[in-house]
Amino acid sequence: MGVILATTRKELMSYLFSPVAYIIAVILYLWRGAEVYRLVYFAADAHYDTRTFLSYYIIYGGCTYAFCVLVPPILTMRCFAEERRTGSLEVLMTAPVRDAEIVLGKWLAALVFYGLLWLPTLVILQVLASGPFLDQSFHLGTVVSGYLGLALLGSALLAFGVFTSSLTDNVLLASMLGIIFNLAVMTTGMVQPYLRDWLGDSYLLNVFIEQTSVFEHLRDWFGRGQVDSSKVVFYLAATALFLFLTVRSLETRKWR
Amino acid sequence: MIEVQSLSKHFGATKAVDDISFALGKGEVVGFLGPNGAGKTTTIRVLTCYHPATSGSAKVAGFDVFAQPVEVRRRIGYLTENVPLYPELRVEEFLRYRAALKGVPRLRRRVAVEAAMERCGVVEVRRKLIGKVSRGYRQRVGLADALVADPPILILDEPTSGLDPNQRRRIKTLVRDLGEDRTVLFSSHILAEVEDVSSRVIIIDRGKIKADGDPRQLLAHSEGRRLVVCAAASPDALRACLGEVAGSCGVREPVRDGAFTTLCYDLEAGADPRDSAFERLQGAGLRIRELKLELPTLEEFFARVTGRAGDAAVQEVAS
Repeated sequence: MGVILATTRKELMSYLFSPVAYIIAVILYLWRGAEVYRLVYFAADAHYDTRTFLSYYIIYGGCTYAFCVLVPPILTMRCFAEERRTGSLEVLMTAPVRDAEIVLGKWLAALVFYGLLWLPTLVILQVLASGPFLDQSFHLGTVVSGYLGLALLGSALLAFGVFTSSLTDNVLLASMLGIIFNLAVMTTGMVQPYLRDWLGDSYLLNVFIEQTSVFEHLRDWFGRGQVDSSKVVFYLAATALFLFLTVRSLETRKWR
Repeated sequence: MIEVQSLSKHFGATKAVDDISFALGKGEVVGFLGPNGAGKTTTIRVLTCYHPATSGSAKVAGFDVFAQPVEVRRRIGYLTENVPLYPELRVEEFLRYRAALKGVPRLRRRVAVEAAMERCGVVEVRRKLIGKVSRGYRQRVGLADALVADPPILILDEPTSGLDPNQRRRIKTLVRDLGEDRTVLFSSHILAEVEDVSSRVIIIDRGKIKADGDPRQLLAHSEGRRLVVCAAASPDALRACLGEVAGSCGVREPVRDGAFTTLCYDLEAGADPRDSAFERLQGAGLRIRELKLELPTLEEFFARVTGRAGDAAVQEVAS
């Protein structure tokens, strides 16, 4: 446990002092600001239900999409790829630590920092609720479930990012692999009709699409206050799987 | 403290380490010597459980490196060859982090970090980013990292590479001090260093151990010793006077300096004809300026056992 926390602390420190994350955050928040502005106009006209509003607030437009596709791989790309490139992986792995502890520590740090990057959206929400904009308070349950969905998705995507980072010593390649993967999972729901046309309408395919349409999970389930245990398990299992694969991938150094 | 039994490590078809065995006792300072690519780092990486051996076994402080890697690493302080550190951390932060990783209890961490910084002389850069300090400091920060958990065994991979002579001297002194209460295995390809610091050298080349022992003993028993005689006589007269030098296996071109001639005889291992030579010179009434037995330097010894004597001769001529 001590090793995990020490690693998390050190990694968080590295995140806080690296400018990359801030630059992305600033760009995405400018984008989000423009979107929220439009959303509020639209919502005020249409007399939105506060429940559906949250779902739209979280996933509206392209900003959340870009956030989920781009930010996790950019945060995690350095995790192991950089250590491999500079050789500090040897220093790290010859300390009295288990591979799994290091992997968990790095993933946890990425998750915490990812959470910090999402935090300002809560402030915006508070401003919307209290100010002259919407003047409606939001149901706490919906807010909690919406952010739970974001956290679960983030944890799985970050775990995948940590995994790609352990595969190569090239930081750019690690981030690209992550971005391609994220694009794929974030798009499954949108290409669903094409997939059905192409592969036929089978039960298995439907289950697959249903389980992996992560954007739709946010919009139709978590964003509306519905926490479905099968989806929670899906994200937790995906996280565990990718972290496990990372540990295995680190172990391959031993039989090279 | 370290026991290596017929250890081999292959990378594909390349035999990086080929069936080596050695053992290090408590409190020994051992220099691990070899040309680049000889298998030093590979052996060290097996000992630090970074990669497993292809065959054979290794034990550190009684723990098997394959079966109990965490226990082994707990007892080792390891300085890697290129000392890759995190450039974005401050020296002190880095050492705190490493102390935590190595399981130094929270309450003792501050003291342990202070002590390690003090010992390695990095106190003055404690607040600097590692990426901003000089190479010498970075090396010492790496050493402080190896020391921070106060391990009984230190493994240092080329601790002085890339340093200037002053920094090198500091590191050497430090290693010698550390050797007083610890087992130290340090690798190098700079021989003079090893001679100064360690009581024992292990020479490895192409994955095989070529020599193992006290450097002075190794030199005394090796071939390549020479008898140098300088006296006031012509080369022919001097050679005639000395006659058949016992144990000689060749004589080099005489060097003339005014009335004096210097002759240099190559001797077989263990030969020491100084006394007989002195008697003959004295008997002939020649003025003697110099009469000495030259042992091979560790450099020459190294070149000899690693089968690169030709390279050393070329270097000698060049210098």
